Amino acid sequence: MNRILLNRCVAITFVVLPLLAGGYGAFAQRTTNKEVPVRELLKAPGRLVSEAKSARPNGALRLTGYRVEEVRLQRNLTVDIKGQQIAADKAWRVTVTGGPFPVRALPAVIWIDDEIVGNGIESEDLSQVTAITFDSSLIREGGVVSISYGEDKDTRQRLSQRLQLKREGGNQ
Amino acid sequence: MRAITRNYAGAFSLMFLLLLGAGARSVFAQVPDPGTPGPLAVTREEYNFGDTAFQPSNFPGPVELRASIHYPTSLSGGPFPVILFLHGRHVTCSQGGGGVFLEWPCSGGRTSIPSYRGYDYVSNVLASHGYVVVSVSANGVNAVDNSVFDLGALARAELLQKHLDILNTFNSTGGAPFGNKFVGKFDMSKVGTMGHSRGGEGVVRHYVLNDSLGAPYGIKAVFPLAPVDFNRFVVNNAALNVLLPYCDGDVSDLQGVHFYDDARYNVPGDQGPKHYVLVMGANHNFYNTVWSPSNNFPGAINDWLAFVPGGHSDDQCGSGPGNQRLTETQQRGTGLAYMTAFFRAYVGGETQFIPILTGDAAPPPSAQTNNLFVSYHAPAALRLDVNRLLNDTNLTINTLNGAATQTGLTPYELCGSAASPANKCLPDFLNAQQPHTTPSARSSARGLSQLKTGWNNFTGNYRNDIPPALGNVSGFQAVQFRVSVNFADARNLADLAQDFRVRLTDAAGSSASVRVSDVSGALYFPPGNVAPVPKVVLNTVRVPLSAFGGVNLNAVRSVQFTFDERLQGGLLITDVAFASAPQ
Repeated sequence: MNRILLNRCVAITFVVLPLLAGGYGAFAQRTTNKEVPVRELLKAPGRLVSEAKSARPNGALRLTGYRVEEVRLQRNLTVDIKGQQIAADKAWRVTVTGGPFPVRALPAVIWIDDEIVGNGIESEDLSQVTAITFDSSLIREGGVVSISYGEDKDTRQRLSQRLQLKREGGNQ
Repeated sequence: MRAITRNYAGAFSLMFLLLLGAGARSVFAQVPDPGTPGPLAVTREEYNFGDTAFQPSNFPGPVELRASIHYPTSLSGGPFPVILFLHGRHVTCSQGGGGVFLEWPCSGGRTSIPSYRGYDYVSNVLASHGYVVVSVSANGVNAVDNSVFDLGALARAELLQKHLDILNTFNSTGGAPFGNKFVGKFDMSKVGTMGHSRGGEGVVRHYVLNDSLGAPYGIKAVFPLAPVDFNRFVVNNAALNVLLPYCDGDVSDLQGVHFYDDARYNVPGDQGPKHYVLVMGANHNFYNTVWSPSNNFPGAINDWLAFVPGGHSDDQCGSGPGNQRLTETQQRGTGLAYMTAFFRAYVGGETQFIPILTGDAAPPPSAQTNNLFVSYHAPAALRLDVNRLLNDTNLTINTLNGAATQTGLTPYELCGSAASPANKCLPDFLNAQQPHTTPSARSSARGLSQLKTGWNNFTGNYRNDIPPALGNVSGFQAVQFRVSVNFADARNLADLAQDFRVRLTDAAGSSASVRVSDVSGALYFPPGNVAPVPKVVLNTVRVPLSAFGGVNLNAVRSVQFTFDERLQGGLLITDVAFASAPQ
């Protein structure tokens, strides 16, 4: 089951045909169809969709919260979601905060409920880890955000506050 | 009848033990310690072309061109074989007070963390025996590799190839900062690579890259150390040795075992010997001195204790009384012994060290422990596969087209491969506890096909018949297979080693058997009580054919496993073969 989920998420995240223009400069020249301009998506402005913060760090990773942001793409990307190619005009950044997160060989994996959002990318100061997805179905009311290293579900560390989706949010 | 057979076997076993003891002493005497410093004085220098001097293709950041180089101070004996080291993923920069960062280049007065210096303890010894050892810095890859699909494998490969290009320039025309010093001193047709952690996948990816470029450099041997294997690239036709630390807290699923498993039958006629070493009590980080706490570099940690929840209390890998953890020094001893043995054997042609790599000789003193297990897959020309156990057909017809039969075994089924409906052999346990089938982040390749079986009384028997035309096995050294005690099978008693017999029978009906415990410790009950341990790792058992006295090795008709040493048990088995070691 994990395998299927991961494959799907990998496909969602990386099987991209046309690439972004303009703001994603260097990446727009790529001929490969596997690389998403992740670094640019990490920096692009986003609309806050859901957020949770705790003053008290939790667990071994000292988790303090999460943040889900919607990023509007400057040009549609063709992505594979659940075996179907669709034109995506949005991406979602799911960021888990806390840490400092370890820099490990195994990448961090961010989950919502039992589905993998994607591999986490650490911030420079290691205070947050972010995964990007194009699958809107993952961003659902009441979803539980969790993080693991490797894909074993049983090793996940969960955030206690479930997703509460905002109907409106300011640009970040 | 069975009692007679067992008595005969017992008597022979005793005789064999005596012979083995004598033989072992003799063999050990003939295998020097590859990790002992050699006669040559060593010089260490570095070259540094800048933090942003290299741009891997389709990679979102620049990478440094910086490396250390260890070489014999007197270069008169050159050209010398070249060994490249590549560290793994780790924090890249630090600031006063212990703060660590993941960025490249380091900003704001932060200093780079010299992960590439962490293997100097191996470089020194290899250089003292006449090797040039270059250890490459890859912080620029580490800083952004999670942003690319392959998690940095190609960038690491390109970085290594760039350094080989640099060394080639030093060797051919010379160049700054060394001038003409190294002209003609490097043998670029004899190259070995070692990569640690993500660097482990990097050296495999590099082997494939170099091959795709027409093999401009002669990569003879590839050593992934505690590696990841996200993408499932395969080393074909070169020597391979994977080191797996049982108490790895980072790559805790030991996914690097796929490099060995995937390479075994990947291309017909593969002449590359393949090995792995499972080091009990070893963790991920201590193989690199810069990542080890005793050296006080920022970011250095004991990964088992830091990353495994509750790991302190594990009786094998934890920190409590009676734990089986190796110290930093002991652990690096295993790295030193098996890296030097491997590169000296397969790059330098010092074949006297091969028995260490096949398990035919004990770990050398430099390893500082005997608690490790080596596995070995012989080159095609030195191997007769009896049963690869790759698909359900192999449950009844083996690889030689002989009958495969069983009595008293339950289950008797394959697990772990594409041919198996359930990929995991132990469905109720973590992927990390069954490395041979753990999934890969960037590949859907399946795992190792294994025979999952067990017995409930002393009559259990697994037999592979050998067609008469193939029964002359006298040219091989051993009959061998890989096996693990299945800790999830309740018929195995915790902490009690299993045992059974390997029996050969010839065309005249003469047979002899050898008890596995007399030749191998591989039937241990997998230790540990805090996940991701215990875990199943199939280790090679090699039984010398010389031990089967009275059997005509020119006309062997069957190989049997007779489960008459323990009342009950459960095992995972694969790769039944006759095999020899390279000479």
